[in-house]
Amino acid sequence: MKKVWKIVVAVAIVSVIAGGSFAWYVFNKPHRDVSREKGLELTAQKIYDEFKANEEAANKKYLDKAIQLTGEVATVSTNQDGNVVADFKTNDSLFVINCTFKTNPGAIKPGDRITFKGICTGYIPDANVVINEGVLVK
Amino acid sequence: MKYFVTILLSMAVCTVQAQKAFITRNAKITFVAPKDDDVKATNNEVTSRLTDNGQLMFSLLIKSFRFEYAEMQEHFNNKYLESNKFPRADFKGLVLNIKDVNFTKNGKYKATVKGSLTMHGVTKELNTIGTIEVTNGKPTAVASFIIVLKDFNIDAASVTDKASITVTAQYQ
Repeated sequence: MKKVWKIVVAVAIVSVIAGGSFAWYVFNKPHRDVSREKGLELTAQKIYDEFKANEEAANKKYLDKAIQLTGEVATVSTNQDGNVVADFKTNDSLFVINCTFKTNPGAIKPGDRITFKGICTGYIPDANVVINEGVLVK
Repeated sequence: MKYFVTILLSMAVCTVQAQKAFITRNAKITFVAPKDDDVKATNNEVTSRLTDNGQLMFSLLIKSFRFEYAEMQEHFNNKYLESNKFPRADFKGLVLNIKDVNFTKNGKYKATVKGSLTMHGVTKELNTIGTIEVTNGKPTAVASFIIVLKDFNIDAASVTDKASITVTAQYQ
């Protein structure tokens, strides 16, 4: 009988530890840090062309991927949470690549040619490709 | 008859030109599980368009929702919303009482919105009441509503069965 109790206690302890570590993992797993990843090197025009030509294929290629994007800045703004957003120009005046910085890039202005690295979240037809959680490369 | 058609056409063209559109690529949508404050996320990359004749659209990417906890964000994308299969959500609708909104006068106006929301491959009617606040010719639209997840074929019952959603769009 004593042996049974020993097993019960052992199982209980193991479950508590397992449950605890799972909870700890859920609340402490770090977010992706794109600055430590190597990005796929693309121009703003190229990623626009690919999404416009075939959204499904471009989704497969670029969703969740780190993208290192080079292009000309059309506009610079700040979102409602205070992050800097740079829209990159394409040859379609109504369409941009919408890039949100997670760290402040310092002084950038329309007309600058910059390289940005972030994570691609997808395509909104007739509007933009979205890349967020980004950093300024140069 | 030909003359009449020409007049009609030119009137139509004038109407199209007279319509003014306000857009933003960085509207904000947040949601929270009504019974668990830890389950919440924000999307700051919502595209929206509002015209002064009442057409309203929102388009957003599921992968743009950011959670405080990375593990929740992964579950949300892979298990519940299946964001590789359904990367986008869209709302198309109308502000029914758009005539009450004066876009040239500062003020806060009540807006009755009727439309349809497509998410996770399911389209459902969505009606809500929000506000449009005009400041120096630029409108800001705000609305809050609750959606029932199983209406959109989303089974997250172990976490929550509803999501309380807040939309804030500051148009340019």
